[in-house]
Amino acid sequence: MGSISFQSVDKVFGGSVKALDDINLEIADKEFVAIVGPSGCGKTTCLRMVAGFEAASSGTVSVNGRPVTSPGPDRAVVFQQFALFPWKTVRENIDLGLRNKNLAIGERSELIAGALKLMNLESHADAFPHQLSGGMQQRVAIARAYVLDPEVLLMDEPFGALDAQTRVVMQEELVRISRRNPRTVLFITHAVEEAVYLADRVAIMTRRPGRIKEVLDIKAVREREAWDKYPKIEDVMDLESFVHLRTHIWKSLREEKGFKDV
Amino acid sequence: MKTPSNRKGLIGLATLAGLIILWFLLTSVTGWVSGGRFPSPAEFWMSLKQISGRGYAGATLASHALHSLKLVAMGFVVAVLTGVPLGLWMGWSRRAEAFINPVFLIIRPIPPLAWIPLAILWLGLGDAAKIMVIWFSAFVPSVINAFTGVRNIERPVLEAARMLGTPRWRMVREVILPAASPMIFTGLRLSLQASWTTLVAAELVGALMGVGFVLNMAQQDIYPGMILVGMITVGLLGWATTLLLTRAERRALAWNVAARD
Repeated sequence: MGSISFQSVDKVFGGSVKALDDINLEIADKEFVAIVGPSGCGKTTCLRMVAGFEAASSGTVSVNGRPVTSPGPDRAVVFQQFALFPWKTVRENIDLGLRNKNLAIGERSELIAGALKLMNLESHADAFPHQLSGGMQQRVAIARAYVLDPEVLLMDEPFGALDAQTRVVMQEELVRISRRNPRTVLFITHAVEEAVYLADRVAIMTRRPGRIKEVLDIKAVREREAWDKYPKIEDVMDLESFVHLRTHIWKSLREEKGFKDV
Repeated sequence: MKTPSNRKGLIGLATLAGLIILWFLLTSVTGWVSGGRFPSPAEFWMSLKQISGRGYAGATLASHALHSLKLVAMGFVVAVLTGVPLGLWMGWSRRAEAFINPVFLIIRPIPPLAWIPLAILWLGLGDAAKIMVIWFSAFVPSVINAFTGVRNIERPVLEAARMLGTPRWRMVREVILPAASPMIFTGLRLSLQASWTTLVAAELVGALMGVGFVLNMAQQDIYPGMILVGMITVGLLGWATTLLLTRAERRALAWNVAARD
């Protein structure tokens, strides 16, 4: 189980800067929701509140009906800057969360082996992060999150720091693993295509103070138009149904003056 | 890979050889620099033989050097063992910083050598006074760099550790300490330098043993050869201890040094 709920959430920074204004969003168990919006609209703040790194100024953020109070391994985060521990090997990075759960060593090595296999990292288990490319490092970060078997997975522009080709590979990977191990995912991005390709629903935010302007159901279209038949992201992106959704979101974002990204 | 470092070593040796030849020329060969101001290589050699064999200022060179080394090691270790944890704590806790920083700000501008009179008054001319002064002088860089090391840890790294449910002690040992360790080692290097500076100064002011004491006696005896022996001994000891520290750093920060290459 892993539902996420934002109920009338406001966030004010420094007593005066209103970052989020009356956010209401319900994310069901095993649902993949992407939030897109202009820079500085507070989309990352939404994720950080679910993670427990920041508290709402008013309203409630809850996971499985329990209000979030602090960070925890039931809500694994994948950061844009990977945030690996450079002094730990790939294996040790993945192991830390399992050790914190006080699992027996046998169980841990089994879970680590599974996570390494899932992310195609088997041959890099004993490498240090600096010996890996950016894409590989983000694979480690995803493995570190997945191995905890979290109720929800929070991804904060996880592919934002990667080059274009690596990014596409990682997007396809993410589709592959989330089909195999469905999780509740909250995915923050400013890349419209990425959101449409990955998510079941896309929430569009306004510029600051961020409000949710519109939530689009992508899953219905994906299933109706059988996107999953196409193994490659570029084939899906050529479909008329994809282009239509992308253009819709794009126009919606363009109306927001602060939108300069992409 | 090996050639550049070998070449660097060769150039270093050549410079050293050049200096020695110049020294020889200026003193023994031409006599431009008189023996009363700076010793010739021969005089230096005689002094070295004297202190190594019969001894000078009450002991042989080895005993003097060992004595100084012991004091530096003790003062340095005490400074690191107290300074690094304090710096880590101040870096981690804003409250600790608020409590300790004002005291620190007042004490910090006092030159370490200004503690010598008080140390001698309290603890006499013996070893304890010198260890105290070394401790005070080596303490500051250890604290400041450990503090900065913690403050410079990237926020996502700490958040990742919290998200993984890392308990407090493991957080300190496996996240904060290694993340701050490059800065901590910078602090240790500065602390070690401060230790040697302070030791020699303290021994010059008052001591019964040690390299600084040799220097002081040689000055009173107007004995340039022995002064040079003392200076070079301090230089070599400082160099050797720094080398040991660098080795330890390289081993501890293998993950980091490799990242810089």
